[in-house]
Formats: sequence, C-alpha cells, structure tokens
Amino acid sequence: MKLKTLTIAMVIMACLLSACGSTSSTDSAGSTASGTDDGTASEQSGSGSESAEKKKLDFMWFSDGVEGEVTQSIIDEYEAANPNIEINLIEVPYNDYENQLKIAISGGEPPALARVTYVGLFKDASITFDDYVDAESFKAQFSDSLDPFYIYDGKIKGVPIDTTANGLIYNKTAFEKAGVEVPANPGDIWTIDEWIDAMKRVMESGDVRYGLVIDKTPHRFSTLLYGQGGRILSEDLQTTEINSEAGIRTVDIMKRLHDENICPASVWVGSENPNDMFRTGQVAMHLAGSWMMTNYRDNITDFEWGVTYLPVGVTRSSVPGGKYVIALDNTSVEQEAVDFIEYYISKEVNQKYCSESLFLSPRNDLADMEFSFGSESWQIFANELANSSPDAARDWGYAQTSALIKEPLLNGVAEVIQGKTSSKDMLDSLAEKVNAELAEINS
Amino acid sequence: MGNAVKKTFLYCILALLTLTFLFPIIWVMLSAFKKSSELFSWPPSFFPRTPTLDNFIAAFNKGDFGRYFYNSAVVSVSSTILAIIINTMAGFAFAKYKFKFRDAIFIGFLATLMLPLEVIMIPIFQVIKRFSMYNSLLGIIIPPAATPTGVFLARQYFLSIPDELLEAARIDGASERRIFVQLILPNAKPLMSVLFIFSFMWRWNDYMWPLLVIRDMDKYTVQLALANFSGQFSVDWSSLLAMAVISMIPMLVVFLIFQKQFVKGMVVSGMKE
Amino acid sequence: MKKSKDWGIKIAPWVLLAPNLIIFAVFIVWPAIMGFTYSFYKWDGLGEKVFIGFNNYVKAFGSAEFWGAFGRTAAYALISVPLIMAAALLLANLLVKDIKLKGFFRASFYWPKMISFIIVGLSFRFLFGDSFGVINYILEVLGFKSVAWLTDSFFAQLVVILATVWSMAGYYMVMFISGLQSIPESYYEASQVDGATSAQRFFLITLPLLKPTTFLVLILSIIDVFKAYPLIKALTGGGPASSTKMIVQYIYEEGFTKSNLGYASALSMILLVVLAIFTGIQFKINRGGEI
Repeated sequence: MKLKTLTIAMVIMACLLSACGSTSSTDSAGSTASGTDDGTASEQSGSGSESAEKKKLDFMWFSDGVEGEVTQSIIDEYEAANPNIEINLIEVPYNDYENQLKIAISGGEPPALARVTYVGLFKDASITFDDYVDAESFKAQFSDSLDPFYIYDGKIKGVPIDTTANGLIYNKTAFEKAGVEVPANPGDIWTIDEWIDAMKRVMESGDVRYGLVIDKTPHRFSTLLYGQGGRILSEDLQTTEINSEAGIRTVDIMKRLHDENICPASVWVGSENPNDMFRTGQVAMHLAGSWMMTNYRDNITDFEWGVTYLPVGVTRSSVPGGKYVIALDNTSVEQEAVDFIEYYISKEVNQKYCSESLFLSPRNDLADMEFSFGSESWQIFANELANSSPDAARDWGYAQTSALIKEPLLNGVAEVIQGKTSSKDMLDSLAEKVNAELAEINS
Repeated sequence: MGNAVKKTFLYCILALLTLTFLFPIIWVMLSAFKKSSELFSWPPSFFPRTPTLDNFIAAFNKGDFGRYFYNSAVVSVSSTILAIIINTMAGFAFAKYKFKFRDAIFIGFLATLMLPLEVIMIPIFQVIKRFSMYNSLLGIIIPPAATPTGVFLARQYFLSIPDELLEAARIDGASERRIFVQLILPNAKPLMSVLFIFSFMWRWNDYMWPLLVIRDMDKYTVQLALANFSGQFSVDWSSLLAMAVISMIPMLVVFLIFQKQFVKGMVVSGMKE
Repeated sequence: MKKSKDWGIKIAPWVLLAPNLIIFAVFIVWPAIMGFTYSFYKWDGLGEKVFIGFNNYVKAFGSAEFWGAFGRTAAYALISVPLIMAAALLLANLLVKDIKLKGFFRASFYWPKMISFIIVGLSFRFLFGDSFGVINYILEVLGFKSVAWLTDSFFAQLVVILATVWSMAGYYMVMFISGLQSIPESYYEASQVDGATSAQRFFLITLPLLKPTTFLVLILSIIDVFKAYPLIKALTGGGPASSTKMIVQYIYEEGFTKSNLGYASALSMILLVVLAIFTGIQFKINRGGEI
C-alpha cells in the first residue's frame, strides 16, 4: 500500500515538474535580457504578420514607497505607445538588491535597466550614455550639484530619476502646545544653540518625551558635519578629512544632544528605529529627509507634523540623495534601454513620477514643481538643497563612502556618547582606519 | 486522587508556559489587525482599538499574492515529496550498510551545513544557469531537496532498527530492494512525518534560493514578496504583519496533520521486541 | 533464487545514496569548491579576479575584529545551545505524555520556528525597544524601572540569546519527540513493575536511550547557532557597539558590503574548518553517534 501511495505521489510530482518545466522553458527563452532570442523565434514562426521583433527588457527595481507602482504605470503607457517593447519591472528586496544585481551581472544575466543608489559601484558594468546621446545637452537637463553621483571619468554612467534632501521634520502639535515657533523663512533659521533651546522648551511643555531622533546612518550624521564646514573626503577623494576641527565639533554636538537627554540613547547606541519612535508622537523632531513624506502622510493621523529648516552651524547645508537608473552592458538591448530612459526622464514623465511618488525632481526645469501634498515642505527641501555644500555631493557620489565609514563611525559616535572616548580620539582612529582602506582601494 | 491533581498541575504549567511563549506571536498577529496609525501609538495597545482588515486587503493589492502562494505551495510540496524519497533512501544507506567512503561522504554532507550559503551564491548561480534552471521553479525544488539535515534524521531513525531484522529477511531470500520497499518503508511513517513537517517548513520559508534563482515576479514565492515590504528607509509594517500572519497558516496546517503520526513506539511487523 | 532486478548488497547502498548524492554534489559541493578557490583571489564580484595567494588568510588570522566576532559567537553558542537543548527536551518530555490538546501545545511551541527569522528579529526589536517597547511599558506599569534592553551590551546579548532559544527550541523539541517515540514502551513498563520513580525512569532509561537523538540535536544546534545571522541582524544590527555581532555578520559585512568576496570566502573556509574540527571531536567522543 505504501508503494502505491509513493507511486501516486511521484506521478503527481512528475506532472507538477513538467508543468514547471514547460513554463520555465518558454519563460527562460523570453526572460533573458538579450532581445536576439525573441528575434530569432519570431523569424522562425514565419507568419510574417508580426513584422517587428518584440524586445523584452528586464528592469530591476527596489521600492521604499509607491514609486514602483508609479513606474509600472509609466511603463504601461510606454508599452502602449511602443508595442514592440516589453518592459518587465522586477521588484527585488532592498537589503539584498546590490548583491543580486552584482550576481546577475557577473553571472551573465544582466538586466537591461536597474535602479541604483550608487552608480559608482556599477560604473564598469553600465553603458556610457555619451555613446548614445549628446552628452552636453543631456547633462544640462539636471542640476549640476548631482554630477558627482552619475558622471565618472567625465562620462555619463547613469541617469538621475529622483532627488531627496535631508531635512528636519517636526511634531506641529507638540510645538504648538509648548508655544514654540519654528523658523518661517530662511532668514529666521536657528543656530545650533537656538535649536537645542527650542527642543528643550518643547520637551518641557509640549508633552513629548524626547526632543529629537536622528537616523543612525553616516548620511544623516554628515548633515551636521557639512553645517560645521567639515567634510568626509578630501577633494581628490584620496584621504579622509573627517577628523578636522569641524568633525570634532559635530561629534561634540551629538554628545551634547544625548547628554542633555534631547536624543534617546537607544537610537545611536542601541537599534531603536527613529521612524517608529516619531510615529508615537512622543518625539518633537526627526532629522531625516524628504523620503519620509509618503510614510508619514500614510501612517500618522494622531498628530500634525511638518517640515522646517535645518539649523545653521558655520554654514547651512543639507545632503542630496536620490536614485539613478543605469543601463547595463552586454544585454543586446542597450539602445532600447536608452530610448526608454530618455522617455522616463523627460520633463512630463519625470514630473508625473516625482509628484506621485513624492520625490524632488533632478531636472532643472522642474525645480519649482507643484506637489499635491505638502507643498510648503517641498519648498523647504528644495531650498535646503540649493543651499548645500558641494562637498556633500562629492562625498556621497563616491560609491565606497558608505561602506568605508559606516561601521567605525556609528560605533565610534556610540562610544563617545557613552563617554568611553573623546571625540578627537575617536575621529583620529577612525581616520587612520579609513585612510588605510582608501590606500588599499586606490593601490 | 493524586493523579488528577498532578494532571491539573501539569495543564496549568503548560498553559502558563504556552501563553508566555506565544506572547510575541500573539502580539504580532493582533498587530496585523491594527490600523497603521495605531501600530506605534503611545501608550502601546495590545488589542486593536479599531480592528480592521485594511492591512490584509492592501497587502494583497501590493502584489500578486494569490500567485505567490500558489508558487510557494507547488515548490514546498514538490520539493518535500522529493526530499522525503531521496533523504530516506540516503539515510538508510548510511545507517545500515558498510561501503567505501561512507564516513567520508557523511562528513562531507555535514561539512556543507557549516558553510553560510551566502558566500557561495555566485558559483551556485552559475551552476543553476548551466543546468537551465535559472528563473525556473525547478531550481528551487530540486537543489534544496538534498538537504543534509533530512539525511541525518533518516539515518538516526534507521539506526534504531535491529540488524537482526534485516539479517532475518536476507536469510529468507529477500533482495535488498524488497527489504527497503516492503520492510523498511512501511515502518518509516514517523520519520516521514517529521521529514514532511520540516521539509515543508524549510521550503516554505526559503529565501536565499528563490532570491538567487528566480527573476520573473510571476514565479516569486511568498517569502520573496514579503521581503519587498522592508524598504530602504522604512518597513511597511502593516502589510508585512498581515502577510506574515497568512503565511504561517499552511505551515501550521501541515504540522497539525502530520504530528499525529508521532505514534508511540515503532511497530515492526513480524518481529516482537 | 535471485531476481534479476536485485540490487545486491554491494550496489544497494549506492543506489539508495545516488539521487541525494548527485543533487548534493552538483548544486552544493561543486559551488563550494569554486567558492574555496575564490579565497585565493582579490575580487569585488564584478571586475577581474586578482590572484593573491594566501593573503586573505593572513589578513584574517591577523584581524582582531575577526577573532572578536569568533569569540563572541563561541560564547553565544556555549550559552544558547544548552538552553535550547534543555528547553527542547523538557517540552518534548511534557508533550509525549497522554494529555489532551497535545497537538495544540506542540504546534504552539513549534510555531516560532515557522516564522521567518527576520520577522522574529524585527518583532523582538520592537517589543524590547528601550523607549517605546512593549516590555518596558509593562514593566513601568507594574512599577518597575525600564531596562535598557538593546542599548546596554549585557542586556542586548541577553535578548539575543532569548530570541534565539525562543525561535529554535520548538524545532529541536520535534526531533526529541521523534526520538522519544522510538524508546520501546516495554522498558518503561518493566521499570514500573520494579517500582522506579519518574525521575529514575527519566535519567536511567530515557536519557541513555535518547543519546543518538541528543547527539544529533547537539551537532545541529551548534551549527545553527554558529551560523545565526538574519535574526540578530534584524534584532540589534550587531550592536550596541558590535557586542552582538557574530561571525556570519562579520563575513557578510567584510565580504559583501565592502565588495571583498575573496576575503569573505577565506573567512568562510576558516569557519568551516573550525566547525568541522569541533564536530569531528564530538563524533570521536560519541563514537559515531551510534548506540
């Protein structure tokens, strides 16, 4: 009897497997990024009614909010207008995204297009847009400040699709309750001391537990660093300058914020999530960026929130960020990929993409774009970007920056906060380590 | 009289243990029914203030989850059936036969358990591609089925079969094949139940294999789709919790069905202890 | 009277072993060997491989961070594994008895293993959050002081161990239940006739006869705990200050985040060799895990 059950099971499995097998064989023919397979197939069908070859492009993608859905609707419109093109949007989990893209490339299955954070990591695998478009006029569409993020060795290696800015989100309800005003225009911007003072007053009478949470990343930390006139890397990207006087002042500010209980230790020493904390309504301010707009819009209903200006240190600065699209080499559909990208970043389409996904646009002619939600906030973010140090773009356009300083900086600041070491000592040893690794990279 | 007290005591302990143990899970499940604005409200709520199914509806709309569940089911069941067959065979070979290289191969199996698979992702990718299993469900059904743990469990189980039993059968003229199919397999029900439970769970929860092998979203499994709810800057808790809760159900069902097979003692037909 | 389709005692084991062995060799062993060769190169996964001989291994042996992570993982395993085994055995023992709702209870304790590690990590992280965690809230309501669960190294390590034991105990409980089933009832019946107490039954009959299963659970749980990564990464991210950063996370960060695949490969090989030696010693002590 057991044998019978086994045989039946094996038969069922064989059927399932053959079903999978047939689906996979048709799909694998179609899913390779190269268009030639499809071309050959349609030629062999010989009916002649479909004279155009259907080219299939894989578009690797990761989302944080709704930008994937928005892109899909843009793709649908493009496909309707170009019936011989099929674009397959593939959402890959962010935490494993870079790895998966690398594996796909080195394994010989590169997607035609991919959304990336750091173009620099993939510059050797992506096409050079200069070969396909007029470089000067192409570049001119986008804000100059973004150049370090997508132009390497003078060549265009990726295309900006959205821009973000670091900024200060605050709990309006709490501030009103405490009777504290936020800067209404760039002329009123707080100094660091005024900022700390404001937060303290809100903590006293605004019914919040903490004044501020800062995302635990070097990117957010660097906001304060640039404000102090410092920077992470030297102009030639060969050494680090984070242990300058400005750097020491920045770490001291972090320490002061924690010593005076404005910031909870659980974020920068532990791993508590600042987003979740701000959502409780128990924190007055959140040093994050424009990407939080969708999240907070959808999830915060118990209190009112808004965006205000970052404080000024020695100077004003925010940090630009954003995403880029690259077209990979060796996919045999490079031209089709470029065609789609040109459509995707054209003024009309990019406007649709950015306004529905709630991003700033990298295009110069969309700098004053209208948003359906939070228009004041967007003006503030745009203003912050316009008043940022060029060091920020250079530091973060360099693809290795995050990997180099993330761990030692985060651990180091945590130790300073806990009083285990001084700002200067921590930064000096950090600089030593980073310089050694930079030397290895550049050797 | 003492027995009844003992039993009640036992039940009380079990109930208490279970409740404490299940607290995180219960909290996760209840949170799936909370509005997203309530998830992080302060003070925290245990029971949803305004229970809602919105999260489940929204999550289903964020991806083709009907399809993903189908894929996960096909993969889990097929791979489990395959695994039970080949692991049982291999386990029996290790347990009851002496052959050259037996111990070396066994240690080899064991050794690969100690390797974090993430490190060999690129070579695995290339092998998968070479066998035309890239972007195919076969690629996540066949390779993971040869799991060392399954083989160990089978070996462990078969070690406790008395050698005399096999000898007696051989003396009676039974071939090795007959011994395996007609003597060993019918008595391996408890083992196969455990293997079914474990293998189904492993395959259902597989993340690395589908991530590596599958390209097209219409072949995504549930775990792969779930991971998309963790973005770069924030986690879509509402959708993640909702789908995670639903995702647990098949595994629970499989467990409840097969754990009944944990029958006391091994009934070995034709041989009295 | 030999049937022509007989396997024969010499061929039989190979026929039985073949399917598993072939799949295993093709999809795991071959890539593992390829992975091993990477350890002699400097490679970022995309560009050219540069042969550097044993440099990666030299770097690893000289890296204080590597050995720090290794030591932490060993300590973590040393504490977690006995706890997991004790919990699993205890629960298994409870749940083989004749009680109602056996299936429900078994499912309850097995449940954590069915949830993906990432969700377990994220949930525990929220539950044990210092400022806004549920546990601290309950503590405060009850009049106690809140604990810096994930900000203090000691407590963070405690929470990691707790989450590990919680999510793995049920899995090994199932293995123990399976093992307990194979102890013949007649032994217990005989001992009852002799007037043995339940404690005596446990220590003198159950435990010795459970040795093979115990041995298996020991080996598998050590390997599982040593390879722990997704759970801890989601729970503490390796903090505070690397106090919960284990070896696989270190390999991941050095290898993948820093695009240094050759180094990651070398580190993995070292891990494998150490685990293999350790397992080999256990096998020798147990004489192959046989009764």
